[in-house]
Formats: sequence, structure tokens, C-alpha cells
Amino acid sequence: MKIVIVGAGEVGFHTASRLAMESKDVVVVDTDPKSLKRVSEHLDVAVVEGSGASPQVLAEAGVESAEILLAVTDSDEINLVSCLFTDLMSPATKKLIRIRDADYTDFAAKLRENPPHIDTIINPELEMSRFIVRLLEEPGAEDVAVFGGGRVRLVGVRVAPLSRLAGVRMKDLLANTGGRKLLIAAIVREEKLIIPSGRDTILQNDLVYFLAPAEDGFQPMELFGRSTRVIRRVLIVGGGRAGLRLSREISGLGLHVKLVEKDPQRCSFLAEALDKVVVLSGDGSDQELLTEENVADQDVVVTLTGDEETNILASLLVKRMGVAKAITRIDKFHYFPLMQAIGIEHVVSARMAAINSILQHVRRGKVISSVTLKGESGEVMEVVALETSGLVGKPIRDLSFPKGALIIAILRDGRVIVPTGDSVIEPRDRVVIIATSQAVPLVERALSVRLEYF
Amino acid sequence: MRARAIARVVGVLTAFTGLAMLLPLVVSLLHSENRSAKALLLSCGITMGAGGGMYLSSGRERYILSHREGMAVVALGWALAGLFGGLPFYIGEVFPSFTDAAFESISGFTTTGSSVLTDIESVDRGMLLWRSFIQWLGGMGIIVLSLAVLPFLGVGGMQLYKAEVPSPVPDKLTPRIRETAALLWKVYILFTALQVLLLSAGGMDLFESVCHSFTTMPTGGFSTRNASVGEFESAYFEWVIVAFMALAGVNFTLHYRALTGNPRSFTKDPECRVYLALLAGLTLLVALDTHGPVYQSFGKALRYAAFQVTSILTTTGYATADYEKWPAFSQLILMLCMFVGASAGSTGGAMKVLRVVLVAKYCYRELFRLIHPRVVMPVKLGKKAVPEEVLHGVMGFFALYMGVFAVSGVILCLMGVDLVTSLAAVAATMGNIGPGIGDVGPMENFAHIPAAGKWLLMWCMLLGRLEIYTIIILLVPEFWRK
Repeated sequence: MKIVIVGAGEVGFHTASRLAMESKDVVVVDTDPKSLKRVSEHLDVAVVEGSGASPQVLAEAGVESAEILLAVTDSDEINLVSCLFTDLMSPATKKLIRIRDADYTDFAAKLRENPPHIDTIINPELEMSRFIVRLLEEPGAEDVAVFGGGRVRLVGVRVAPLSRLAGVRMKDLLANTGGRKLLIAAIVREEKLIIPSGRDTILQNDLVYFLAPAEDGFQPMELFGRSTRVIRRVLIVGGGRAGLRLSREISGLGLHVKLVEKDPQRCSFLAEALDKVVVLSGDGSDQELLTEENVADQDVVVTLTGDEETNILASLLVKRMGVAKAITRIDKFHYFPLMQAIGIEHVVSARMAAINSILQHVRRGKVISSVTLKGESGEVMEVVALETSGLVGKPIRDLSFPKGALIIAILRDGRVIVPTGDSVIEPRDRVVIIATSQAVPLVERALSVRLEYF
Repeated sequence: MRARAIARVVGVLTAFTGLAMLLPLVVSLLHSENRSAKALLLSCGITMGAGGGMYLSSGRERYILSHREGMAVVALGWALAGLFGGLPFYIGEVFPSFTDAAFESISGFTTTGSSVLTDIESVDRGMLLWRSFIQWLGGMGIIVLSLAVLPFLGVGGMQLYKAEVPSPVPDKLTPRIRETAALLWKVYILFTALQVLLLSAGGMDLFESVCHSFTTMPTGGFSTRNASVGEFESAYFEWVIVAFMALAGVNFTLHYRALTGNPRSFTKDPECRVYLALLAGLTLLVALDTHGPVYQSFGKALRYAAFQVTSILTTTGYATADYEKWPAFSQLILMLCMFVGASAGSTGGAMKVLRVVLVAKYCYRELFRLIHPRVVMPVKLGKKAVPEEVLHGVMGFFALYMGVFAVSGVILCLMGVDLVTSLAAVAATMGNIGPGIGDVGPMENFAHIPAAGKWLLMWCMLLGRLEIYTIIILLVPEFWRK
């Protein structure tokens, strides 16, 4: 399977990296030799230097024989032109495009039906904003992944030092939850994903993923020492595209939103565009402004400016001023490992959201969706179990499933089944599987013989 | 300021006023009212002569009016039409003094409806028709003024309500006025005709249907009966008139849009929504208040409350009940309605719902800003931010309105009129309503006010009608400087 990626920025690089690991045939196109050098040095992919908007360059990259074109440069216009020429040169190629300007996304349907026949439009800000909304809806969570059209949620929570579950072995879990069932799907410790067995122990500061919704009235969050207070007041720093989109969405959900933006002209625009949102003109790291606005009474502060350093500083500042939760937007991937160390817990990234979304769409077929867990340590995917598949017809304990992978849920006729060793997967069931990065290719290989993957 | 340019336009307006006297003249002749016919004919001659003289004296040059000249034309045109319009009443000996004749006429042209006529029913039909007809003409003038002229001159925040009429040259005043006027007058004439039809269908005689329709659409309020609409004692007439008063209080641009296939424009327009809510809400409050102490059945209370609230809020000024006998709460609501008025761009007067809404939002923003000093918060109307200079115009208008109200009230008290009557008389004339409270209540009239007081109230009517700025600017020395 051949994939041409136009754009070797962060999104292009990381998408290429993930696809190359899955042994896809990847060609990366970019005008910048430096970015290309980074790609060719680190990844096992081919590179072509030149503009993705040029038909010659596209031909050189072999777009005619490619199954998928990913146009993910920072420029919407180059992405669109690149899709247009691909459509002319090779109509059969699937086209995925990253578009940031909302003016274009309104035309999604028309762009699909008419040339350039774009199959999927990915809007990074939109994906990120959706992710933030999920985080706000699940107070206390650090990561939330949704499957089965929202019926299965995998919630990641950081174990607080005072948690009742800190130091508990997995097999003693039931005794510590007051007899309530809690399915822990994965533990991320020091950027490594562990698929827990009975012998593993939950430690403080672990990022624990559990399956929600749990039984009625059972609040697993509290067991992990996290507050479940419903979020009502949100302060957003940065009134760019992402800030505007998020403000509109969550004020529509009935939350009280304050939006801080530096540029006075942009403020006027925002204030006219948004109802019910208090638009403040000023710097998000201005302590005086934050005091004036009683920042300590905010449930959550989201920093969404285009500048990572400002976001980090503002988040650290508001945490010091007493805000329980700060969500920080960071788009430079090499900052991610640092964040835990300097005390920034909730990191969002438009680029990360875009990559997730791209991978999910690349796999469209029998894999319905796949989500990368924190730190790219593992992946959760939702697949359809075909009749021919080796998954079907046997109790789960008899399946030859790779180490480091776990079936966490079965979706049948709109119901969610939490599998035990005796559960049997039926044809047409949807299965949610979690796997460590190392295990992903193994799972794929194990499944690819029997399970139609693409 | 070019006197000739002004004289030319004002001359045409005056001559037109004279020409309009031919309609009541015909009615007088049909009813063989010789004295009135003579008076109307003579007045027609004098007025057309004066108007024609002004026009001819301006020479053959054509002028494009400047901003300031535009204001002067509006002010002078209205005042002269009012004064000349009083001639038939004076010559026809309806009133003994010219003051009274001018008061009645200016009250007509400004669509106020305050009267100094005690026994209306004894007056000739020709004169009664003229009295109603000048209100109807005044209404026509207001539509053009408030939707085409004042927005262009930028008076008191009226910029918000430019009539959206397609025009080849959008920035030129003259073609705009012509086309806007033509379209909106069609709506105005249509509604008037419809009301005549509905009233005569219910059994009112044609002459009275026409007279009442002539004074409903401009929210004027002159009636042909001594006890106003209440004398008919017909629920049907009252509800028909309530409906047309309510329609007259809506921005005419919305009517135009609704008639050209956009009926939802009423509920979409933020001002219209507040206006309709006020009508419904205040009617209910007054009905609840008067049910029991005044009216035995709630249905009756609702009928009289609806009529009176609509009549005062739209600044029409008809009466079906002596609301001075109502509880203080209801009276105060009606008094406050006198300040609010109808929608901008309607024929109604007073401050206008739009301005009241903007003032309220402006005040809320100031409070909000105390809590959040860095907030950026435009005052919004619907989805759109209102420009700051429009807000300043509105705030200035509000301050001027209250200021003129206070000063005029003080002067009227000085002339020996009692406190409540003074305040109510000034509020009722500035808001172009008609009857007030106290000695100028719905069952009394303005005849007993001293002559100087009547001139003061005429001044108030013109001020209110021409959105204050246009008249008061004539008192600013800067206006007259070259």
C-alpha cells in the first residue's frame, strides 16, 4: 500500500513515522530540504523535494500508483491545489486534506462531490476542540477516547498520591472498590504502556485508563483521588480560531466562559461573534488581570494561544493562583516528555488531534477508529469482527492474542459487553482492542491473516 | 446656509399643504357647509400663494441640500405646514384665537392629537375631515423623515434604521427619499384603506371610518366624537383600531418586507420583538390591576387595558376609558409608556423602543465593566454590534429628551398650571401622544392652558416629532455660522 504525504511538518512527520512503523510504502513531499532531511534520517520512507502543488513533483512522488494522498502542509491553499492535481492525474487515489480555515470546511460536501473529490477534510482545531470538550465533560480525566459512537469511553486518569487505589495490586482491585466492577484497560507509567495482569500494581502518578460508563452511581474518579465536581466556569486564554470555536461550543453547552485575547481588534470581533461569553482584552499571563477576574474561582483554564511558551507560563501561573485544572495547548512534540516534569498535566495539541484523525481515516475500512494513547505509547482500535476472522466463535481465553494487547469491549446490537475469558465474539460484532506500540504490528499481523484490515 | 435653497423646498411643502385643503373643501361643498367651504378656499389660496411665492423667489437655480440645510428644511417645513394648516380653523371661526387654531393644526401635523376643541361634534364635516387629514399627511411626512432623511443626517442613532430600499445611488439623499417614500407610502395607504373597509363593514358610517383611519395609521388620535372612540361603545371597532394602532407602531420597513414575502421579519427584528412583548405584557399587567376595582369581568378589563396601553404606547392617544379613575399603578404604567413610544421607523413618537433598549443595554454594559474592567463588550442588537457613535447619539438623545422635558415642565408650572398637569402635558406633547393625566386627561382637553403655555406645548410637539436634534440645533449658534 502506497501513501503520498505532502508536507513534512510535525503532522506529516509523525503520520509518516506511524505509517512507516506499520510497514506502509510512504513518500513524503516538501519544499524544505531541512525538514526532508529530518524525515529521511529518522524514518524508513522515500522523500521528494518540491512543491506539493506542482503536478511534476506529484508525478515524481508516484501519486498515480498511490492509494492515498495526505495533503497536510500548513497552507490550506497548497493542500487544495495538491488534491486538485492528484484528482486530475489519478482519480482513484483517496484524498485526505488538512484544512484549518473554517471558511473552507463549510464546503466539505461540495468538495467531496465535485472536483477535487476530497474524501476527508480534517480540521485540526475542530478535532482538538472536540477533545477538550470531552475532557471538560469528564472532570478529573486527563485523556478520553470515545468508541462505538460514544457508547464506550476509555477514560485516562492520573492516580493522585492520596488515592485509595495507589499501591493496590490488580487482583485485589475488587476488594478496594467496594465490590464494584472496574475494568482497567491500561496503565501508562513513565511514558510506557502496561497492559495490566493480576500481578501488576497501581502506583501513584500512574495514568490509568478505565472503561466508562461504569455501573450506575459508581464514581471511579473518586477512587483515584480526583475531583468529580462538575465543571461550570472556564477561562480560555487565546482567542484565535481554536479559542473562538471552543468558546462557542462550550458556552452553547451552558458553561460560563471567559475568553482572554491580547489583540483589541480581535477582541471586538470575538465579542460580536460570541453571545454569553465574557471577552477580556489583555494578556493571559498578566497576573493583575487574572486576579481581577477571580481566576481561582474558575474550574478550568484552557490556554490556546499559538505560542507554546505563553501557554505553558499561563498554565503554571493559574495553577499557582489556585486553579485545579489547566489544559495547555502545545504543538511542539518534543516538549511533550517535559510537561509531566514541570507540572503540566493536561496537554492538547491540534497537530496530535490531526494525526489521530488522519490515522483513523487512513484505516477506514474494517478498522472503524483508532486512537493513540498518551505519549504515543500505545493505541486503541475499534474493528469489525468478520466471519472469516480468527476472533469469532471461540471463547476469548482460547484466542492466540499477542502479549501487550487486550480486548476491552464488545459492541453488539448497540449494547456494550465487557468481555470475560468466557465471552465469545460473534460475526459483525465491533471489538475494541488496546495494544502497546510494540504490540500493534503483532496484533495487526495476528489479525491480518483472518481479519480484513484494509 | 443658503436661504434660497431652503425657501425652494419649504415653498413646495407649503404649497402642497394648501393643495391638500381641496379635499376637505370638496366634502364641505357636498354637505353645503358654506362658511367652512369659504374658509377652506381662502386658506388654500393664501397657503398656495405663500408657498408659490417662496418657490419662485428662489430663482431658477437647482440646489443640492447640505447637511445643515436639510435640518433647517425639516424644521421649517413642519412648522410652516402647521401654521398654515391652522388657517382654515381660524378663518372658519372654529376657534376664536389663532393660537388655538395653530395648536390644533400643529398637534395634527405632528400626529400628536392633543386638542383644544371642546365640542367636536358641532364642528362642520369639512373642518373635521381637514383635522383628520392633516394627521394623515403628517404621518406620511414622518415615514419619510424617520426612514430616509434622519438616518442620512445621522440624528440620534437613527442610522441603525436606514430603510433598506434598493436604490441606484445608495449614498445620495434625493433618489433614496423618492424611492423609499414611494414604497412605504404604498404600505401606509394600503393599511389605511383596509381599516376604512373593516370599520365601515362593522357599521361605522363612511365619513367617520375615513376620519378615524386617517388618524390611526399616523398614530395621531383625533376623533370625530367628544368622548373619542369610547363613544361608539363597540368592542369590534375597538379591536380593529387596536390592531391598526399596533401595526402603525411597527417599523414600516418591516411591513414592506412582510408584504413582499418575508412575514418572519417581525419576529426576527430585535426592536419589534421588544415592542410586541411590551404591548402584550403591559396590557396584561393593566388588565390584572383594573380587574376588580374598576371592571367586574376580566374580559372587559382586558379590552379596555389593551386599547389604552396600545393607544398610549403607540402614541396614538385615543381613549375608550377614563384612565384617571384607574388605580395609580395602571396610571403610572401609561405615564411611562408616554416616554417609551413605538418603534423607530414607525409613525409613533416619543423616545422609541429601540432607543430605550439601547440605553438599557448601555447601562448594563457600564455595570458589567465595573465588575470586569478589561471586558470588551459591544452593545448588540440581535447579532450585530451597534457602533459606538450611534450609541453616543442615542445617549445624547436620551439626555436631551429628559432635559427638554424638565425645562418645559418647569416653565409650564411657572404659568400657573398644576404639577401633575404640567408634567403630563409636556410628556404627552413631546411624545406626540395627545391626552395626558390631570387636567389634560382623556376626558378633558388643552383649552384651559394659557396661550403662552400652548405655544410652549406646540414647540414641544415639534421637538418630539422631529427627534429633538433637528429643532434644538437651530438654537445652537454654531449652526448659523458660515
